[in-house]
Amino acid sequence: MNGELRPIIEARRVDKRFGAFHALKDVSATFYEGQVTAIVGPSGSGKSTFLRTLNRLEMHDSGEIVVDGIVLNDNLKNLDAIRREVGMVFQSFNLFSHLTILRNVSLAPMRVRKMRREDAESKAMSLLERVGLKNQAAKYPVQLSGGQQQRVAIARALAMDPKVLLFDEPTSALDPEMVNEVLAVMRELAYSGITMLVVTHEMGFAREVADRIIFFDEGVILEDTTPERFFANPEHDRAKSFLSQVRHGY
Amino acid sequence: MNWTKRYPGWAMFAAMIGLLVFLWGMAVPLSAAPAPIGPAADQFVEGARITVGLTLIAGSVGVVIGVLAGLGKLSRFGPLRWLCDSYVWLIRGTPLLLQILFVWLAFPLLMPEGIELSDFACAAIALSLNVGAYNTECVRAGILAVPHGQVEAARALGLTPIQTFMDVVLPQSMRVALPALANNLASLVKDSSLAYAISVVELTMVGYRVQAESYQPIPVFITVAAIYLILTTAFTTLTAALEAQLDVGQKR
Repeated sequence: MNGELRPIIEARRVDKRFGAFHALKDVSATFYEGQVTAIVGPSGSGKSTFLRTLNRLEMHDSGEIVVDGIVLNDNLKNLDAIRREVGMVFQSFNLFSHLTILRNVSLAPMRVRKMRREDAESKAMSLLERVGLKNQAAKYPVQLSGGQQQRVAIARALAMDPKVLLFDEPTSALDPEMVNEVLAVMRELAYSGITMLVVTHEMGFAREVADRIIFFDEGVILEDTTPERFFANPEHDRAKSFLSQVRHGY
Repeated sequence: MNWTKRYPGWAMFAAMIGLLVFLWGMAVPLSAAPAPIGPAADQFVEGARITVGLTLIAGSVGVVIGVLAGLGKLSRFGPLRWLCDSYVWLIRGTPLLLQILFVWLAFPLLMPEGIELSDFACAAIALSLNVGAYNTECVRAGILAVPHGQVEAARALGLTPIQTFMDVVLPQSMRVALPALANNLASLVKDSSLAYAISVVELTMVGYRVQAESYQPIPVFITVAAIYLILTTAFTTLTAALEAQLDVGQKR
């Protein structure tokens, strides 16, 4: 990374409760263009909730989130503008099960970007080729394996030309033998220079691909550092014990 | 019926053409029949057309009401939810015959001067409201059956709430709701006979009149029943084919 970094997402003192459970405690972080950030931590530490507040799938109670200069608030225009720029890939794929793979990928560009059908579909085909699924375009999601479905979901998010891609545990619902095909696509994306925030339990992937590691615990960011320092020499005991528990993974 | 599953497009086409041909051409075999059917053929044809007309109008309006009220029941806006709940409660808790009579006799008193509803319109309104209430519950169940993750995915892609509903939720909820909606449509074909109470000359009323003139209830009512069976068969074929058409991308 050269030159000065341009911030793309800024979270300032983001706070969120689910009833009595304090999910996010005054979380602040800035993410820069082109950066690949792996967000790790134990279950229930708030990492997925944090990711979901960034495109308002969860509403934060207080604090401020700015995406590409647009403040995330109750203004629906802002929200739609942000959602156009931020792509998301879910743990459970969430493909539209009544639409073909091709329609899954071409729907949003047609509806949101008002692209002509031929243009949207030719773009969808080239994205499906990129994730290695061109020959599955006419099938329905249920006919594909989990790994293939997740690759389609990545293509679907890419079809909107997002400035940032959010990944919410993209490999956690997959059979082990399918994890690698999805990680391979994500690796290729990371090297292509797209900004990525990845909530993951794949420590090998985080170490190899991420520029930055954020470690969540009990609703706060405990560590925000480089992969080298995080894996070799974590500062906090919580991070040390977390790493020792997942160490077999990398 | 397996062929409706294999060739849903053709089955829908065949059922629709069959219904039209039947309504158009049933006069020919009926008038060739011996008395008391033959001389009254035109009345049977007219009655069948009224029955099909009531069914199609109330059936389509009922689906629109069902979708709107089904959505309303799931709304975050309390008063709207309450309104839709009350509507379903009221309609399902009272007899259809009473509803038909109410529209026929009470609506004119409640309406502004100068607006007059025909008997047919009154029957169509009452039947629409009735089937709409039953459809509401089916549509609501269908909407709830669509995985919430797909709604999140659509919203995360930047689709508006209306686009999300039209492109993602509605098609899938319809697939779930369709068997129940089809059931309501089949009931509607027969429930439309209650319109006889407000002197709409639909199929059952025709049968009643013809047997009263001829004193031959057996052939007359058998003819009426046969026509109903042909109509319900056409409608169920239509909806079964539609079901097969929508049944894409699903585990079998």
